Amino acid sequence: MKKFFTILICKILRFVGKLIGKGSSMPGQIALKLCPDILKRVQLPEHIIAITGSNGKTSTVEMIAHILTKNGKTVAWNREGSNQIEGVTTMVLSNATLSGKVKADILLIESDERYAKKTFSYIDATDYVITNLYRDQLTRNGHPEFVFDAIADSIHDGTRLILNADDPLVSVFGHGRKNVVWFGADELSSDEKELHSVYNDGAYCPICKAPMTYTTHHYNHIGHYACTACGYKRNDTDYTVTAVDLKEGWLELDGKYRISLALKSLYNIYNILAAYTVARLVGIDSKAIADDMNDYVLKNGRVINFRLGKRTGTLLTSKHENSISYDHSLRVACACDSGTDVLIIVDAVSRKYFTSDVSWLWDIDFEMLNNPNIHEIVLAGAYVNDLAARFSYTDIPQEKIRLFEDIAKASEHLDSDRKEYIYAITCFSDKEKFLSKVEEV
Amino acid sequence: MKLLHLYHDIMNLYGDYANILCLKRMLEKNGEEAGIDRVSLSEDAILDEYDFIFVGSGTEKNQKVVLADFLKYRDQLKAYIASGKPLLMTGNSFEMLGKMITDGSGKSYDGLGLYDFTVTEERGRRYTADIIAKTDFLDQPLVGFINKSSMVDGVKAPMDTVTFGIGNKDGEMTEGVLDKHFYGTHITGPVLEKNPHFLCYIAGLILKKSPDDKPLAYEKKGYENTLRKLSERIN
Repeated sequence: MKKFFTILICKILRFVGKLIGKGSSMPGQIALKLCPDILKRVQLPEHIIAITGSNGKTSTVEMIAHILTKNGKTVAWNREGSNQIEGVTTMVLSNATLSGKVKADILLIESDERYAKKTFSYIDATDYVITNLYRDQLTRNGHPEFVFDAIADSIHDGTRLILNADDPLVSVFGHGRKNVVWFGADELSSDEKELHSVYNDGAYCPICKAPMTYTTHHYNHIGHYACTACGYKRNDTDYTVTAVDLKEGWLELDGKYRISLALKSLYNIYNILAAYTVARLVGIDSKAIADDMNDYVLKNGRVINFRLGKRTGTLLTSKHENSISYDHSLRVACACDSGTDVLIIVDAVSRKYFTSDVSWLWDIDFEMLNNPNIHEIVLAGAYVNDLAARFSYTDIPQEKIRLFEDIAKASEHLDSDRKEYIYAITCFSDKEKFLSKVEEV
Repeated sequence: MKLLHLYHDIMNLYGDYANILCLKRMLEKNGEEAGIDRVSLSEDAILDEYDFIFVGSGTEKNQKVVLADFLKYRDQLKAYIASGKPLLMTGNSFEMLGKMITDGSGKSYDGLGLYDFTVTEERGRRYTADIIAKTDFLDQPLVGFINKSSMVDGVKAPMDTVTFGIGNKDGEMTEGVLDKHFYGTHITGPVLEKNPHFLCYIAGLILKKSPDDKPLAYEKKGYENTLRKLSERIN
């Protein structure tokens, strides 16, 4: 009876919540109060796929759901993106009958990396995808090794791990383990032999801490690495990005399938590859997966084209406190051969909690913008002076840089007769402040 | 002037490296030539050759690896601090100078033993906070961020008193360690760049005169903005 009422109440709360535009955490939170082990009491589908990591969880989950649904599978997944136990509970119970049977072939769970242990203490995933471990929200998450420990506590013995072979820290999860599927990228045309980023989290072996060497860097610490002492090295891959062309904008999967990239960047390649890997493991035909990916445009609004007066541009949603996401965005702007202006906004560091910490600006490779393709650089927001100080430590000519504390004034300044394209780079927490000044196209 | 950045490639979280860059620039703007040496694991430095030494924060695991290497500098470091030259250690790096560090699994590591404090890490816990802190040597407060998993017990001479944020251990508002011009603080990241008055103070120690702070216009405005935002949180 308790189960029945908990599910009923959760469904009612979710229904009402949707009507009044509330988030998806609260119903699950109340359900967990009523019946703390409700996730154990419901009957889950045979196939449970979990996904965690620093970057790309939502995009990957969205893509997997799209492919599986297109190929006739019913998928229950947290499409609202609430990825802690409360949101997952809401999602599971919303998809369950009142007797507690989840009506889906596959349960697909995006999980917050820091709190994954809580969610998976009730749910035994059959497959667990771990995308990457980056410096991300350091003010909350500490550092990648700290998050590593948190994820390690959430992995069950019987679960098959699906791991990014190119990330040395993520690969430790599969070290000495049997049931692991590896995905990764071969040496790519966009690779660097010498790393150019501000820091290298792959400098030392995550297992024995001796120096590591790389034969190629895809970006930052992501690449082909080997420890100089203990023999730890990148694993051979089961599913592979075999080539990319960032000029034309495509990647190639397993030497056979060409997928067009909406954004000419490596930003999304591991999301695509992880989704492809999962779909293959579920048993979907590889050609069908590739076709579904090619006509699929991510819905999560990370890349938004806009018009500002006579000018056009693209907003690249990046994550504050996450230098790799910024580095990716800066690379996209630098590749604009016809010349572009760049707007960078740091106004609220986080939308989830308060912090005034901007140390992470020093981890971003802003030096990259010292590039002939980059014309004017407009810095804006409450932390404009911290940005300006950071930029003063690059070799970018200071006369290229304009400062506006007020985002509206920065937008007015950009609304000019200049012919350059505009790349606007900022975070979820700040993007609406700019989007309200432009017309989305 | 010679500046030393120790363990730059492994104790390098939170943009700590900016501390040494902004000091170098400050010295240069005040007419002194300054060079940075970067020395890491299994390399050697002669500490008394330097006018300033900096060590940044690392992961708990990296700190233990560095500690094993750092022990070789014990006597040199003791002499360097006693000579009154400036040493800045941010985040968990200063913890290495105490008696002992006990990690989250209960394993203990001997520190350099220059001070009597002990450090206890707690697995799965993170103590994070924006902070405002007062010191006896600066006329304006420090701002910054603390990000650690440890409690420090038994510090006799702390560096600052936190008016907003967290101190060395639960229920204590004193923070860091101070000894002559050794500044050890759990504040992470570009502490000197975020606190231009602290940067001027350290540069002044090296230059032996108070430096011109005009080149720090952005840093000063950034500092005021952060201090204002943090002060608003108190009320």
